[in-house]
Amino acid sequence: MRFALPDVGEGLHEAEILRWLVAEGDTVARDQPLVEILTDKAQVELPSPTAGVVHAVAVAEGAVVEVGTVLIEIDDGSPSPAPSPAGIHPLAARSERIDNESPKSPKSRQIDVDSTLVAGGLTRPKASPSTRRRAARLGIDLGRVRGSGPGGRILDADLDAESAATAGPTSDAPAPPPPAAAAIGTPSRHPRPAPEGDLARSPVSGLGQLPFGTHPLRGIRRLTAAAMTLSWSTIPHITGMDELDATALLDARQRLRQALRDDGQEAAAAALTPLVLLAAAVAASLRRFPLVNASVNHDGSALTVYEQVNLGIAVATPDGLIVPVVTDADRRDLVSLALEMQRLAVAARQRSVSAAELRGGTFTLTNYGALGGRFATPLILPGQAGIMGFGAIKERPVAQGGVVVARPTLPVVFSADHRIIDGDLSVAFQEAVLAIVADPLRLLLGA
Amino acid sequence: MVVGEIPEATGVLVIGAGPGGYTAALRASQAGKRVTLIERDAVGGTCLNVGCIPSKALIGVAERYHQARHGHPFGITGTVGLDWPAVQAHLARSVQDLTRGVAQLLAAAKVEMVAGTARFLSPTRVAVEHSHGVTHYEFDDAILATGSRPAILASLPVDGVRVLDSTGALALAALPASVAVVGAGYIGIELGTALAKLGVTVTLVELAGRILPELDAGLAAVVARRLQQLGVRVHTDSRAAGLEAAGLRLEGGEVIDAERVIVAVGRVPNTDTLGLDHAGVHPQPNGRLAVTANRRVRQPNGGVHRHLFAIGDLTEGPALAHKATAEAEVAVAALCGEKVRFEPAAIPAVVFSDPEVATIGLTTADAKQAGLAVRSFRFPLGANAKARIGGDTTGYTEVVVDQADTVVGIHLVGPHVSELAGEATLAIEMAATLEDLTGVIHPHPTISESILEAALGAAGKPLHVHRRTNTAE
Repeated sequence: MRFALPDVGEGLHEAEILRWLVAEGDTVARDQPLVEILTDKAQVELPSPTAGVVHAVAVAEGAVVEVGTVLIEIDDGSPSPAPSPAGIHPLAARSERIDNESPKSPKSRQIDVDSTLVAGGLTRPKASPSTRRRAARLGIDLGRVRGSGPGGRILDADLDAESAATAGPTSDAPAPPPPAAAAIGTPSRHPRPAPEGDLARSPVSGLGQLPFGTHPLRGIRRLTAAAMTLSWSTIPHITGMDELDATALLDARQRLRQALRDDGQEAAAAALTPLVLLAAAVAASLRRFPLVNASVNHDGSALTVYEQVNLGIAVATPDGLIVPVVTDADRRDLVSLALEMQRLAVAARQRSVSAAELRGGTFTLTNYGALGGRFATPLILPGQAGIMGFGAIKERPVAQGGVVVARPTLPVVFSADHRIIDGDLSVAFQEAVLAIVADPLRLLLGA
Repeated sequence: MVVGEIPEATGVLVIGAGPGGYTAALRASQAGKRVTLIERDAVGGTCLNVGCIPSKALIGVAERYHQARHGHPFGITGTVGLDWPAVQAHLARSVQDLTRGVAQLLAAAKVEMVAGTARFLSPTRVAVEHSHGVTHYEFDDAILATGSRPAILASLPVDGVRVLDSTGALALAALPASVAVVGAGYIGIELGTALAKLGVTVTLVELAGRILPELDAGLAAVVARRLQQLGVRVHTDSRAAGLEAAGLRLEGGEVIDAERVIVAVGRVPNTDTLGLDHAGVHPQPNGRLAVTANRRVRQPNGGVHRHLFAIGDLTEGPALAHKATAEAEVAVAALCGEKVRFEPAAIPAVVFSDPEVATIGLTTADAKQAGLAVRSFRFPLGANAKARIGGDTTGYTEVVVDQADTVVGIHLVGPHVSELAGEATLAIEMAATLEDLTGVIHPHPTISESILEAALGAAGKPLHVHRRTNTAE
C-alpha cells in the first residue's frame, strides 16, 4: 500500500521530512514509527498503518511535501493498485506496461534506457512552465491549487491566492479552527540528535552562532520567516505600551500559590506563574471585546469574530519560536489554565507538542520579559488580530501621592491589527487587562 | 589509489561531456562556479559523435538519394550515384562542426576540460586517469552525466566486422549488400530505413509483436506500411539466436541472409565503472540512479546525497538528449540553491523514420490505462495541401484532449513532422485548450495546419474532413 502524508487538520498543508526511521527492504510492524516529520511547528513520528516490507521510500529527508504526497510504499500483501496518476513512479509504471505489451521480450531487450521513449506524467496539474517554476519557488503544491483559467489551468493569480490562504486565516467560519481531535502521530519520544553538517537542522550551540556563509532556511526558521513576513507585509500594526504597579498581581499569585500548597496541590502551585494570571486577565478581556478576538481574511474583504478564546503562548526553544495554544482559555479555572500552560510549555521545549496543539489560536501572548527587556513591538500572527506582550517585572520608580517610591512594575505592550482595531478599542482592551492586573479580584467578576 | 595524493580543488565536477554534461558545465560556469568537466572519449558525447547527429546526417543523405532515384512522379529523370567516402566525410564534417562549437563554448566559459576516466574515491573525491597519470579532484558538487552505451546480446557479440552496434553501423567503410538489424525500436528503424533507401537489403528482427513497441500502435502501423513499400522485411516475435556464415540465425532455425548484423536492442546506463560505491551510491538493478525532483542522487537508505546529482540517461525516463539538457538546467539551478523541479508536462519524442514520428504527451492508450476520460481526433494528411503537393500523404495528426478540452497529447506521423514537435510540446506545457489551438492561425500551406485541423475536429468542428470524433473509454 502507498502511505501518503495525512491531512491532520486545518491549516496543515505541508510537512518537512526530517528523518526516515525505516529503509527500503525493512520489515515494519503496524504502528511502528516510519518517519519523523515537522508539521507546522511540531515534530512528530508517523506510525505505519500496516505491517509489511518497505518497498520504496518516495521522499527524501529534508524535502518539504504537501498533504497527500505519497511518502512510502509498503508491500503488505494487498494487491497493488493500478498505476495511480499521482503514484510514486509514474515512469516506472509506464515502462512495466510497455514490457507487458511484449510479454516475450522482457529480459532480452536489456532495455533500460530507451524502453520509455515517451514520457511525462499521466495527469498533472495544468499550469504553464513559468507558473510551475514559480510554484516550486513558493513551495506550493499545484495539486492543491484550483485553477481559474481555461480548462482549469492554474494561473499566477491562483498561486497568489493560494499562498495568501495558506499562510493566512485557516477558516472563514465564525468559530476558530477547532483543535484537531486526532493527532497524526505519536509525539517524538526522543530529542532529535542533530545530524552532522546540516546547519539548518542542527542548531549551532550558542545564541547567534553560525559559520560564515549562506545557509538555507529550514524547519521552524523557514515557517517563522514566512509567517512573520506575511504579518509584517499584510497587517498594519499599532502598538500601545503601558506600565503599572504589579504589587497586587504578585501578592495575589503568592496567596493563591500558598492556598494550593495548603490544599496539597503542589503541581498546580508550581505552575501558577504571574503569566497564568495575566492569561486569565486577557481571556476575560477578550470576552468583553470580541472584536479583538478576531481576524481579517486574506484579501481584506471581511473579518471573522471567533467564538472560542484560544490563547497562543509563545515559547522560545533552542530551535526557534513555538506557539502552543491553550483552548477555551476563558472557560478554564486558574488551576486548569496553569496546568495546561505548563504542560504545553514543557511539550514545546521538548518538541513533543502535536500539530493539533499548535493550531486554532485566536490571540497570542508573549512573555518576552522572561528574557529581559521592558518594551517591545510584537508581531501579530496571521489569522489573529492582536498580540499582548509582557516585559520583565522589576522594581522601578513609581510616583505615588507625590512621592517617588520603588515598586515592582509590569510593562505591558499590545499590538493590534489597525484594519479592524482603532486606538479607542486598543486602549480600552489594554485598560481592561490592566484593571485586572491592578486588582486581580476582578477576575471573579468574569466577563 | 595513491595514498596522500594532493587533490585539485574544484567547485563543480561534471563527469561526461554529452548534451547533459556540457550544458551543466556551461551553466555552472555562468553561475560563477569553478567547473571541471571530465570526458573519457569525445566532447559532445553519444549524441554529437555517434548518435543523433551522424545518424540524422546519414538519414538525410539516404532520403535525398532515395528521392532523386524516385523522382518520376515529379518529372525528374536521370541516374544518380552514391560516393560513399564522400557521404562518410559529410557525416564526419557534421560531427566535427558541432563538437568544435561545443568545445569553443566550453573554453570561452573557462570550463576546465580534462580528458580521462573518472572513478570515485569518496563522496567528494574522484581520481581521473588520463594519458599521463592520475589526478585527484576534490569537489563541492558533482554532476554525473555519463550517458549510456549500446546494449549487447550474448548470442551476438559485437566484433566490429560482421556484428556491429549502432556506432559501427554509422561508420561503415563500404555499404554492404544486405544487413539484418536486431531490434526494431527507434534506433533500429532509423538505421534500417536509411540503409534500405541507400539500396541495402534490410531485414528487421524484433522480439515484440510489432515494430516500434515503445510507440503508440497507430503511429507504428504507418511506419510499418512504409517499410513494406521500401522492401524492408520485418520479423516480429522473433529472437536472434546467433551468427551463421550466411547471416543471422533466428530462434527456430531460420537463417536471414545478411553480410552484416546490426544490434540495436537498447542502451544501458554507464554507472557500473564509476566506482560509485565509494561515493555511497548504489545504482538500481536496471543500472539507473534514483534521483529527487531536482536531480540529487538518492541513497539506498532513502536519504539524499549531499554532493551528487545525476542527469540524462542515468535517471528514469527516456534516454534522449533534450531530456538530459533540461535536467542539466535543473541540477545546476538546484546546486546554486534555487528551488526547482524537473517536472515536464511532456518530453517530446521524435523518430526519424519514414515518415517521421513525433509523439508528445498522452496517447488514448495511456489514458485508458490510467482510467482517464479523453477524446481524440485524427486528421489524415491526405487532406493537407502541403502533404499532397509533396507527394507523400501518408500519416496523420492526432490531438488528444481531456474532459475540460485541455490538450494532453499530440501525436504526428508524416513528412517532416519532427519539426512540429515544438508546437505540440508548447501546447501541452501551457495546458492549452482546444479553443487556444483553434484560435491560433496556422500558415498555409504547411503540415502544421494539420494540428489546427485535428484540434478543430476534436472540437467537433472539422473543416477539411468529414469524420466523427473518436472517444476513448
